[in-house]
Amino acid sequence: MVERRLTWLVRIVLLWGAAIFLKLVSLQVLHHQEYAKKARMRQELVVPLPGPRGTIYDRSGQPLAMSVPTVSVYINPLKVPDLEVASDLLARALHIDRTPLDDAMKLAYENKRGFLWVKRRIEPDEAKCLLDMHREWIFLEQEPQRHYPKGTLAAHVLGSVDFEETGNAGIEKSLDGDLRGEDGQMRMLTDVKRRGIESQLDAEAHPGAPITLTIDERLQFVAEREIAAAVEAHHAVSGSVVVMVPTTGELLAVASYPTYDPNLPPQPSENFARQNHAVSVPFEPGSCFKVITLSAALETTHLTPESLINCHGGVLALPGRVVHDSHAGLGIIPMAMVLAKSSNIGAIEVGMRVGQQNMMEYMRRFGFGQKTGIELPAESGGKVRKRWGTTSLASVSMGQEVSVTTLQLAQATSIIANGGYLVRPRLVLQKGGQTLPAGRQGTPKVRVLKPDTVITMRNMMEGVVLHGTGTAARLEGYSVGGKTGSAQIFDFASKHYTHTYNGSFLGFAPLTNPAIVVVVSLNGTHGNAGFGGAAAAPVFHTVAAEALRILEVPKDIPDEPVLVAAKQDTDDLAISEGDPDEPNILQDSDEDGEPAAPPAPIVGPLVPAPRNGEPEAAGPKVPDFRGMSMREVLAEATARGLTVQPDGSGVARVQKPPAGAILRQGEIIRVQFAR
Amino acid sequence: MASVRAERDPFQLRALPHDDVFFYCKRIDNSRLVREHDVRAHGACWGAIGGAAAVLVLLAGLLSFSVANTVAGYKLQALRAEERKLQDESRTLDLQAAELLRPDRLVELARKQNMVTPSSQQVFHLETRADGTVAMVK
Repeated sequence: MVERRLTWLVRIVLLWGAAIFLKLVSLQVLHHQEYAKKARMRQELVVPLPGPRGTIYDRSGQPLAMSVPTVSVYINPLKVPDLEVASDLLARALHIDRTPLDDAMKLAYENKRGFLWVKRRIEPDEAKCLLDMHREWIFLEQEPQRHYPKGTLAAHVLGSVDFEETGNAGIEKSLDGDLRGEDGQMRMLTDVKRRGIESQLDAEAHPGAPITLTIDERLQFVAEREIAAAVEAHHAVSGSVVVMVPTTGELLAVASYPTYDPNLPPQPSENFARQNHAVSVPFEPGSCFKVITLSAALETTHLTPESLINCHGGVLALPGRVVHDSHAGLGIIPMAMVLAKSSNIGAIEVGMRVGQQNMMEYMRRFGFGQKTGIELPAESGGKVRKRWGTTSLASVSMGQEVSVTTLQLAQATSIIANGGYLVRPRLVLQKGGQTLPAGRQGTPKVRVLKPDTVITMRNMMEGVVLHGTGTAARLEGYSVGGKTGSAQIFDFASKHYTHTYNGSFLGFAPLTNPAIVVVVSLNGTHGNAGFGGAAAAPVFHTVAAEALRILEVPKDIPDEPVLVAAKQDTDDLAISEGDPDEPNILQDSDEDGEPAAPPAPIVGPLVPAPRNGEPEAAGPKVPDFRGMSMREVLAEATARGLTVQPDGSGVARVQKPPAGAILRQGEIIRVQFAR
Repeated sequence: MASVRAERDPFQLRALPHDDVFFYCKRIDNSRLVREHDVRAHGACWGAIGGAAAVLVLLAGLLSFSVANTVAGYKLQALRAEERKLQDESRTLDLQAAELLRPDRLVELARKQNMVTPSSQQVFHLETRADGTVAMVK
């Protein structure tokens, strides 16, 4: 009896155990994936880890572009109980128009779409309002938004990004790969109240690399303000300013006008304003190009600043065209005066002596017809003809039949300002916290001009500012070298040069050891007030004075107020009447085409490149003057292009800075003489 | 007529059904029984109690690690969430600071205060020396 009962009991227990076992098999084996998924959905929370886009700073660490997290809202229309009520609710909370939202929600519902963006990048109070609603069909997603806190400042340099935070212009585009961050993801186990208990990292977030530019925010602001004022004042179409350190190629300011706000989405009417006129828009330089002509003459002919040049009274007949000098009646004048007075016929005479081959060679050496390789997209290399016509040499000598960008002019001016070396302009100082070396890795430093040619050119360019066409560029306390340019703009419709001008000015200061190069160009000016000396030189004056103040460059001449004559001689117009059937350099697309992307190697005496990581000396070394007489000291300093301030008499006893020290830009050597 | 129920022997147990077998309990008088002091049984009893307590403490100890781990997990996740929030706030504040330092805004503020830009080399920077004094850099 007892055994029977026990047998039944055992059977029941076994059955119960078997049922439990089968249920466990069902849970753990047969439906494992399904239940694991359900458990994950209830217990796990996927937390996105943002990898924000890298911040762009100016050289002093001021953020120019940065990404901050914002919230966007989307809904599942298929789960919305009442579409009309929902659209009304959302429209009120998000301050948007109800009707289009209602239409979009209905359309999504009819098309069985379970996803609809309602508003992207909402305000924090709007997000809080939505969270307080506790609706299961409203979803909030965090996404970054790019901000440009300085507004329009350096807009053309920075560029902008699209909705997916991909760069579409400027540094944002050219360094998109470095700036772009990579989002990560983390899975978090939560309790019933959605509080995190433990987490597991699925993918680590990688923020984008921060980029530090060579741009100085303060100087960029001044350059933009001045070029905007000049364009408005002279009713010009556009304008640009480039400020460059000639020894390192660092660009302190690249301003272009008209401008735009990169915080706002691009508008079709903004295409012109979004062009970087300093880098992407070439123009005929006019008389500014005479600097290249005269530099080539000093290097390849026996001409000196004192050599007499026949300006033919201001009119020169060439095969098929007549060239007029803007200054009528200029006869035989020294070559230095050709530059100071910007004589076109004088420049042609000099250019003829240089010859076509040498001229082409020096244009290439100065970097024209090639891209500078700056870290910006859509750079123009300008144009240098490969096949020259009968009067091309004459045209090129005075800055026609060649097109250049403002940046290329700054690069060419730097050659004269830094002692004769070609230094490529650059915009990026640091990438990902690593300071980038000046110059290109592995490329030798190229000398374009001999030191004595550089000194001569500097002195002749000082003449332009002291008693030539560029007197408006004079600075208090600093010696300045420069050149004005005023080129007629070619009308493609009538195939004639018009009476609107490209007014430009290129210059550097201080003269003996230049710290900065500033190039200004204004496109579409009118009348005599639109010439380079009247329109662009004053912009140079303000920008250069501010740059020298910010860089704390010591003054090199007595601090006397600059007296500019009421009637300035700014007439440096490049005038020529030629064959209207001849294509203009800006118009034709013949064999000249797009220059090769990498800068062509330039023939010239090579100087060993600085070793990697070794800082390049910023200036010349101070010679040892001790024991020399004053005459010897002055002779030695003049030969080296240095400025000495002597004190006392006898032989040099003490000097400051000491011998062997690197001379800072604009710094004067003080020498104490004693018996 | 009501039948008088025969008095049942209090020591007789309930009969098994369909059997004529009766069982009786044996009457035992334990009133004079005295428990003999058993030292071994006493020790074994306390030993069992102690062992059970030790097992309990051990289990509680083991469980406390898990509990502490969970509590630490809560704290850690809360701190991580706070860190992310603070980083976001920091970026937002950096943006606000950058906007406040816009050059055009500073120029406008300076103009309202009748301030002018210093001329070149008018500004002298101060440097801190080793002795703590501050001196002009010339």
